[in-house]
Amino acid sequence: MASHLETELGKLRMIIIKIGSLAESQVAEAVKAVLSEPVLESKEVKKTENKIDKLDVKIDDICQSVFALQQPVASDLRFIISAMQISREIERIGDLSMSIIKLTKSIKEKHELISKFEIADIVRGVEDITIQTNACFQNMDETAIEEIFKLNRDIKSKSSDAIDNIISEMKSNSKTVGSGTSLIIALKHFERIADHSTNVAESVYFMINAKTIKHEKFSDKK
Amino acid sequence: MHKIESNNVNFYYGENHALRDISLSMKENTVTALIGPSGCGKSTYLRLLNRMNDLIDGTKMTGNIAIDGVDIYAKNTNVDNLRKNVGMVFQKPNPFPKTIFENVAYGLRVNGITDKNEIEERVITTIEQVALWDEVKDKLKKSAFELSGGQQQRLCIARALAIKPSILLMDEPTSALDPISTSKIEELIYELKNKYTIVIVTHNMQQAGRVSDTTAFFYMGELIEYDKTKTIFTKPAIKQTEDYITGRFG
Repeated sequence: MASHLETELGKLRMIIIKIGSLAESQVAEAVKAVLSEPVLESKEVKKTENKIDKLDVKIDDICQSVFALQQPVASDLRFIISAMQISREIERIGDLSMSIIKLTKSIKEKHELISKFEIADIVRGVEDITIQTNACFQNMDETAIEEIFKLNRDIKSKSSDAIDNIISEMKSNSKTVGSGTSLIIALKHFERIADHSTNVAESVYFMINAKTIKHEKFSDKK
Repeated sequence: MHKIESNNVNFYYGENHALRDISLSMKENTVTALIGPSGCGKSTYLRLLNRMNDLIDGTKMTGNIAIDGVDIYAKNTNVDNLRKNVGMVFQKPNPFPKTIFENVAYGLRVNGITDKNEIEERVITTIEQVALWDEVKDKLKKSAFELSGGQQQRLCIARALAIKPSILLMDEPTSALDPISTSKIEELIYELKNKYTIVIVTHNMQQAGRVSDTTAFFYMGELIEYDKTKTIFTKPAIKQTEDYITGRFG
């Protein structure tokens, strides 16, 4: 017979998996939007965003109840602390995806700039990191964390190069300033999504090892 | 209609005014925790629900308590029937000096059940109900005193349930138990509320949080606050309640 606390924690785990998969689908839509692939109707995307927001509130509510009524300790305590952090990170991923989808509508020379500076590679990498992070939580797989950190570093480096190149392009061709600026903002949003995903992985590490690895390089962590 | 309804209940031990104008309603199939410092009246109130205080000389009660809409202090109340309907579990496990089987069967026999098969069936069902069966199935003929404190307490709960009450009163049922036994009893309470209305007195506020749906905070004979347990433990309306549950009392 599962205890009442175990039942609550199980419920919480399922909600985190759900909110994670919703955010993952929003990131996929943002990637498609940037790459000019067919995207879902904006009504659908907005609906998913609302679901994410509601689940975020629900997670907070369950965590508050568990803290107040169940006095979790040890791994249960770490799970609840992490659940609240993960929920916040995922909710931000959802928001940033929405912003990217809205923003990319206004990028006119999108295709030209994107193919020129290998943006597809970067945004696909961000999509990949969200998928890997969700799997990492679902399987409580700390071996995946190192790869997630590596992916994040690659994304940052490639994004930084791409932004430099876009700025050079804007300097030499003033017609691209509007689109280039929007694209830089979109890239920065994607970078933030990768950061939030990495933060989720950090929370998973904390859950498993009871060790905080924020603000450290992964190699210094263990 | 509420399962239990108390209106303007006052209770006196001689000159001592122990409960003051308590009005409290409890829904069916819920767990209500009564919390408060020692001497606040919570156990006194609990014992009013099956008229256990009648056994104390020099006491007086005014007001009204109804179960299923029927005034339990009416002149024509059959107190034996009331106590069959409102079972009670005490602070310390108090099994009879009999076998494990007999501890549960005894109440059935006293209540006129003579059919051996029926007795056996109800003993097994209730022992299963309190999640004790796997631990005692091979030693039903052994003395109940051979069981651990936690097992004895679950046996006492089985004994109370065997006569099919609809309400279960628990007066600090885990205060004499270790954390593992406490956790088993708490999980049991959580399961039992599907079939019973449970009122539990506890000094352990964390326990109130873990097991109850509603919580009543008593202080110096008064009901200070009564609300959903989540509300009491996250945003109590009265400062006295907040001070008590956060340990800043007095």
